[in-house]
Amino acid sequence: MTSEPAGRPKQSERAPLATMAECAPLEVTELVKSYGSNLAVDRVSFAMKPGEILGLLGPNGAGKTTLISTTVTLEKPTSGRIEIFGMDVQTEPERCKMLTGFVPQELINHGYFNVEEILQFHSGYFGRRRNKDRIDWLLKELSLWDHRKKKVKQLSGGMKRRLLIAKALVHEPKLLLLDEPTAGVDIELRESLWRFVGELKASGLSILLTTHYIHEAEQLCDRIGILQKGQLRHLGPTRDLIKDLTKREIVVRLKQKNDTQNLPYLIRRTDRELVFQVPSSMGAGDLLLELGLELESIDDLAIREGSLEDALKRVLGDKGERV
Amino acid sequence: MTPLTSRRPLGVILNPFATFLTLYQREMMRFMKVVFQTVFAPMVNSALYLLIFGVSLGKTIHLENGISYLAFLIPGLVMMGVLNNAFQNTSSSIVSGKFSGDLEDLKVVPLTPQMIIWAMSAAALTRGLVVGLVTWGVGEVFGFVVEGRVIPVVHPLWLIVFLTIGGLTFAMLGISVAFWAKTFDQVSAIGSFLLLPLIYLGGVFFSLHGLHPFWQAVASINPVLYLINGVRYGLTGVTDVDVTLAFAVAVVSLMVFLFMGLRALKKGSYTRW
Repeated sequence: MTSEPAGRPKQSERAPLATMAECAPLEVTELVKSYGSNLAVDRVSFAMKPGEILGLLGPNGAGKTTLISTTVTLEKPTSGRIEIFGMDVQTEPERCKMLTGFVPQELINHGYFNVEEILQFHSGYFGRRRNKDRIDWLLKELSLWDHRKKKVKQLSGGMKRRLLIAKALVHEPKLLLLDEPTAGVDIELRESLWRFVGELKASGLSILLTTHYIHEAEQLCDRIGILQKGQLRHLGPTRDLIKDLTKREIVVRLKQKNDTQNLPYLIRRTDRELVFQVPSSMGAGDLLLELGLELESIDDLAIREGSLEDALKRVLGDKGERV
Repeated sequence: MTPLTSRRPLGVILNPFATFLTLYQREMMRFMKVVFQTVFAPMVNSALYLLIFGVSLGKTIHLENGISYLAFLIPGLVMMGVLNNAFQNTSSSIVSGKFSGDLEDLKVVPLTPQMIIWAMSAAALTRGLVVGLVTWGVGEVFGFVVEGRVIPVVHPLWLIVFLTIGGLTFAMLGISVAFWAKTFDQVSAIGSFLLLPLIYLGGVFFSLHGLHPFWQAVASINPVLYLINGVRYGLTGVTDVDVTLAFAVAVVSLMVFLFMGLRALKKGSYTRW
């Protein structure tokens, strides 16, 4: 970790608290984390925007969990800087943690305590010993109310996952870090969790999430970052990323067989069906004009847009490291 | 959906004492949930020691310092209970947290190493004092039955001072060992092969004056000897070592293990095994 320049005041001395809301919820600058010779995170830099959901995608071992673990100080960076609302997590960890909720990837088995006690303790760690309203609300919102007197070992995997989310939200954080929050949960629960995440975003929370569910990431995330081998390969608005990294497929079904050779953008054909792959900026009308095809000769026309999965394949290679 | 916005200033812990108190309460509840294992079992242990050594064999043992062997034994067993339980409380809490993964919680919440070490040590001391108090009570009952009198507490202030410093020191040692350990076996090994001998050879069962001068010299480098004799001085007014020296050794021990515990909390790994 680069050290604080001599004489640089702490954030609390630099700026009035009111201005902190204008800072990036999370700003990572030239972050490096290595374990011996293994470089888990390699000079990663990005900044989150207030109120956005930023998704980090990448194959196993890409550095997603390491990046989040370093943000919550479970790991120390080898070099680089992480700031939460303008405060350095290494020099002002307690203030950063007050603003951050963290949902780890692995389930936790709190052996001795029941669900309600766990939430009360977790709230108390943030200085909120009397937080019943918030705890009750979270228990109900996450369908844990009927299980609040159960110990963790009596809960299903999905309930344990929801408990982790409740813990992360109990102190009303401004930044939520979700590391594979839906790993190993069934479709129904996954959908309800994603809905809940959407509601959290609507309430103004900034969310960084890692997930293997590309379709949900595409639906939910404002921006996507693609990590590979510890490096941030791409970062941008989800739509732009898809647009920049994928091509549009236009399928033209003709009334009669067309044998014209050397058609531009053509990637495959059958007797009456022509499949073209065009840049995302090119519309169907542009293509037809360029091909000189008359509308009367067309029986049907379909457009298939590129998906986030296509974009990922493009970045990670066709042989595809598993995301 | 309740709003997530707040009018509180960002990132400021409004009540740091509440965070400390929460961890203390959690640690207390943790050992109270397994009270048979954490409190009653050590009590039975101490009662058996008192019965066998204090009441039965004690009749045949005569000490130079003029007190009965039972009265001599009680302070040693009280301190042994405090030290053992304080060590076990912190070390088992951290080790079980490493197994279950909930130790990570302490790292991602705004608890400072200072808060963690004092809250965990205070809870461990409380458990130790509960065991110590009951041991003393059982000893008094045996004293009344055997000697027909209540054994008075001679220097209560010194008693409290040595019990507190000893309990906190061993609680902090427990934190250091649990963070250092890579397996549960390593924690058990430290307890069995280092601490137990130090406690047993620290004058729980014997007076320093009854030893050969060579072994007296060897025993005098054991810091536990000073802690136990400090408690013995507090309870009975009798000690094998100078009480001021015992106090100095106790304070230095506390400082050393406070430093080691803080270092473990700052540098050690909170991630699960």
